[in-house]
Amino acid sequence: MEIIKNFGLDPVFLAAQVINFLIILYVLKRFLYKPILELLKKREDAIKEGVRKNEEVRILLEKASSEEKAVLKRAEAYAKKIIDDAKSHATETAKEIEEISKKQTEKIFADASLQIKKEAIETEKRLTLTVSKVAIEFLKKSLEQLFSEKEQKEILKKALKEMKI
Amino acid sequence: MISFSPEVIAHIGSFKITNSLLDILLVDSILITLALVVKKRLSLIPGLLQNAVEFLIEGFYNLTESISNKNAGRIFPFFITFFLFILIVNWSGLIPGVGTIGFFEGKKLVPVIRSGASDLNVTLGLALVSAVATHVLSIQILGIKSYLGRYFSINPINLFIGILEIISEITKVISLSFRLFGNIFAGEVVLATTSSMIAFLFPIPFLLLEIIVGFVQALVFSMLTMTFMAILTTPHHEVETVKEVSRV
Repeated sequence: MEIIKNFGLDPVFLAAQVINFLIILYVLKRFLYKPILELLKKREDAIKEGVRKNEEVRILLEKASSEEKAVLKRAEAYAKKIIDDAKSHATETAKEIEEISKKQTEKIFADASLQIKKEAIETEKRLTLTVSKVAIEFLKKSLEQLFSEKEQKEILKKALKEMKI
Repeated sequence: MISFSPEVIAHIGSFKITNSLLDILLVDSILITLALVVKKRLSLIPGLLQNAVEFLIEGFYNLTESISNKNAGRIFPFFITFFLFILIVNWSGLIPGVGTIGFFEGKKLVPVIRSGASDLNVTLGLALVSAVATHVLSIQILGIKSYLGRYFSINPINLFIGILEIISEITKVISLSFRLFGNIFAGEVVLATTSSMIAFLFPIPFLLLEIIVGFVQALVFSMLTMTFMAILTTPHHEVETVKEVSRV
C-alpha cells in the first residue's frame, strides 16, 4: 500500500484516465480513422476502376486498330476492284460508243449519199425541164419565121415527143 | 527532486486537478482538433496534413492487417490510438515550460503541467484498457467457450499452462504500464538533472534522445497491444503463425 501511495495511484484518476482514453478512441475512430479509411477505399476503387477502364480502352483500341487495318485492306481491295471494273467497263463502253458512232457515221454518209443522188436526179430533172422549155421557146421563136402554124405544131409535137416531156 | 506522484494544482469540488491531468487534457485537445480539422478538409486529392495522416493511418492499417489479417478492422483503432495518444503525451513533456513552469511549495517546484506518461495512473489506465479490450475482443471473436478453453482445461498440464497464462495476463498490464512510466519518468529526471547542471545547450542531446525514446515507447506499447490482441483473437491452433509473423 505504501508503494501505491508513493506512486500516487488513485482509483478515481485511474478511472478518469480509462474513460478519457475511451472517449479519445471513440472520437478518433468516428472522426478520423473511419472517414480516412473510407476515403482510401474510395480512392483505391477509383484507381482500380481507372486501371480497369484503361485496360479495356487499350484492348478496344487495339481491336479497333486491327479492325481499321482489316477494313482499310478490304476497302483498298474493293477500290482496286472498282477501279479495274470501271476501267474494263470504260474500255467496253468506249468500244461500243466507237462502234455505234462508226455505224452512225456510215449511216449518215449513206443517207447523205442517197440524198445527194436524189437531189442530183431532181436537179437533173428540173434542169432537163428548164432546158426543154428553153429549147421549145427557142424552137418556137425559130419556127415562127420559117414554118406555117401547122408545121410548127407538127414539129413541136415531134420535138416534145423526142424530149419526152 | 521530481516526485513519483502527480501534484494537485486545483480542486473542482472534491475532484483534484493534477498537473498530469492538465497535460492529458492538452493532448486530448490536440488529438480532437487534429481529427476535426482533417475531417473538415477531407478531399479525394489530399493536402499536406491529410497526406501525412493518410500515410500514418494506411501504414498502421497495413501493419495490423499483415499480422491479424481478418480482425484488422477491430484491432486497428486501438493500435493507432494507443500510438498517437502515447506519442503526443510523451512529446508534450518536452514542450518548453512543461515540467519547468510552476510554483514553489517550500523549496520544491510544483510544475503546472507535467508529462502525462510520468503519472502511473495514466500508464496503468492505458495498460488496463489494452488488457480489457484484448480480452473483450477475444470473447467477441472466438466465443466464450474457446476463450475460456485457453485458460482452463481438464488436462493437468494444460491447466497449469492456463494458470501461467492468467499470471502472464496480469504481468502484461504491469509490464506495459511500468515500462512506459519508467522510461518517461526517467527521461524527465535526466532532463531535470542536466538542465539544473548546465541550463543551456547541454540538455539538447538529451532532449533529442527523449524524442526518440518517446516515439519508441509509443510504438512498443501499441505494437505489444496489437500483437496481444492478434494472438488472443486467433484460434489456438493458429497462434504460432501469428507469433511467427509478429516476430518478423
